[in-house]
Amino acid sequence: MKQSGIKNNKWKMKYSTSKKVNGFIFILPWLLGFVIFFAVPITNTILYSFNKVDVGNGGGIVLTFSGLQNYIDLFTKEVTTLSYPIQRMFADENRNIFTNLPLIVIFSLFLAILANAKFPGRSIVRIIFFLPIVLGLQLIVDWTKDSVGRSLIETAAGGMFGNHMGARLLFQYTFLPKNVVLFLSAVIGNIFQLITRTGVQTMIFLAGLQSISPSHYEVAKIEGANSYEVFWKVTIPLLANVTVFTVIYTLIDLFLSSDIAVEVYNFAFTKSKIGIGSALSVVYMINVLVALGIVLLFLKVVNLIEKR
Amino acid sequence: MKKDNLSTVKNRIFSEASVVENPFTRKKFTSFASGMFFFSLIIGVCFAILYPILTLLPMVFTDLRNIGSPDAIWIPSKFGVNSLEFVFRSVMRGDVMIMVKSLLYAFTICIIQVFVSAMAGYSLARTDFRGKGFVFFLVIFVFLVPRQSFLITQYLHFKHFDIFGLFHLFLGHDIDLINKPITLYLLAIFGFSVNQSLFIFIFRQFFKGLPVEIEEASLIDGAGFYKTYFKIMLPNAKPAILTVAVLAFVWAYGDIYYTNYFNTDGPYFGVIIDHTFKDANNWYINNQARQWFDTATTNNLAFEALKQASIITFLTPLLIIYFFVQRKIVENLDRVGIVG
Repeated sequence: MKQSGIKNNKWKMKYSTSKKVNGFIFILPWLLGFVIFFAVPITNTILYSFNKVDVGNGGGIVLTFSGLQNYIDLFTKEVTTLSYPIQRMFADENRNIFTNLPLIVIFSLFLAILANAKFPGRSIVRIIFFLPIVLGLQLIVDWTKDSVGRSLIETAAGGMFGNHMGARLLFQYTFLPKNVVLFLSAVIGNIFQLITRTGVQTMIFLAGLQSISPSHYEVAKIEGANSYEVFWKVTIPLLANVTVFTVIYTLIDLFLSSDIAVEVYNFAFTKSKIGIGSALSVVYMINVLVALGIVLLFLKVVNLIEKR
Repeated sequence: MKKDNLSTVKNRIFSEASVVENPFTRKKFTSFASGMFFFSLIIGVCFAILYPILTLLPMVFTDLRNIGSPDAIWIPSKFGVNSLEFVFRSVMRGDVMIMVKSLLYAFTICIIQVFVSAMAGYSLARTDFRGKGFVFFLVIFVFLVPRQSFLITQYLHFKHFDIFGLFHLFLGHDIDLINKPITLYLLAIFGFSVNQSLFIFIFRQFFKGLPVEIEEASLIDGAGFYKTYFKIMLPNAKPAILTVAVLAFVWAYGDIYYTNYFNTDGPYFGVIIDHTFKDANNWYINNQARQWFDTATTNNLAFEALKQASIITFLTPLLIIYFFVQRKIVENLDRVGIVG
């Protein structure tokens, strides 16, 4: 009896140790994958970006070190498929992403709040509100963006509700400056594109809204807060974590579907300039990380101001 | 006396007027107006979401011979489904199996992704091996780095696939993984398919939110690590599994990034329609439509109609599945611990 106990101790590890080991085993496939499918390609990308890449006689790859030449070429000699300089593409894409980012986040919060309200027919509305998860697939977005069917409908029906009508109304009957009106009409014209990006974010925001316990709202009501105050003082602060997550997700999603990604492909496979394509990839990567850093810093500052 | 009477009557009338529920009292009117505003808002938003798909429909359901008729905007002048028929005969080669295969592919990838991500997520949430924090940082980092940025080297890496020279040592040559279905499954198994680090993150957050007592109870009952995980933790993770499974399925089915680069000739519906409806194929497709359905020779609208029909076909199974699963996701949403 005693012997078997000793035997058990010998053969069975302590639970905490076994948990550590098994936990590591659970993450092991991912770690292997990280090395094979991520670390190696990424190091190679950085390596290639500092080299002239040629195909050797045997079909292998021949690297000759060329310093920063690829980067210099990328920004001085090369152009995009639409013959813009690379700098301009980066500037345009970043500007678009940073204007669309707050719009998408606010819009998905808005959708989540609508979906969370109680009204007849809510289940049908919810089905439609989460449709962007499906309709936001790259293939579908690309093909519906400028389909001929749509342009036929818009030219036929556009006489009455053209894009410019709203802008003209705003411009003539309000005191908004011209730039604001132009920005607003651009946003409105872009609404169908923005809305396809809101699927996952709406879902996350709705999860956040549902996890707020009703007692918070009851307390606020007893204290005599109106719904406006409840929104800003209860809902928004409690959604802070979710918002950070949503902002990061949206930023990454926008960068993934930006034109820069298409250019990387073009440099590699259409123009077969692997070295320069790698340099572009590195700049792209740095761009994403810097943009993310800026956004996170901004959110942190907002959080600090809020707490003060 | 008379005056008095009059005033009481007056009083009575006014008091009665304020007591009787008038449909046009102020309060009712405000609630009615705000209700109207709310519903028009909702209808507007729904319209904006559906608009890109709605605009495809009139052209798809017009008879191919009648396409481009200037009289019709939303309602086809002559109803017909021959563009869908064309998609079935030409793009799917008269075989439903292409659709089934690509659904099966998405389903397999989805199951692998859920399995692997749940394991990784559990490990990151509940065990503490050395360097766990760093691994979690890596997971986030992988999510942040856009996958296109290392497309070139990943492609070359797969073309001459070798792990630390091991294959060279044992087989004498490296392996060409490009254009083989196994590549996509390998990516999923090792956790690098579409947005898989996001799934790991979701599972980690979820398992972190589960009470520790569940685990302790199963430990006291004598269950080991694996039994605890598969019998207790995994069944408890249903909300997270459902959410991740739906996202994984949709993204795997709609993915033309990995499938296009690493297995171009595979039976993936998205890739097939992407290849078929390249602008270069415009003439070919128009010609075929002309032969089969006797379309007009003057315009190329048949090509566009067929393209739109193919995207509708592509979407249909996804929408059907989504329709059935959607309600369950929303019900469970507050328990998917993305929030914490």
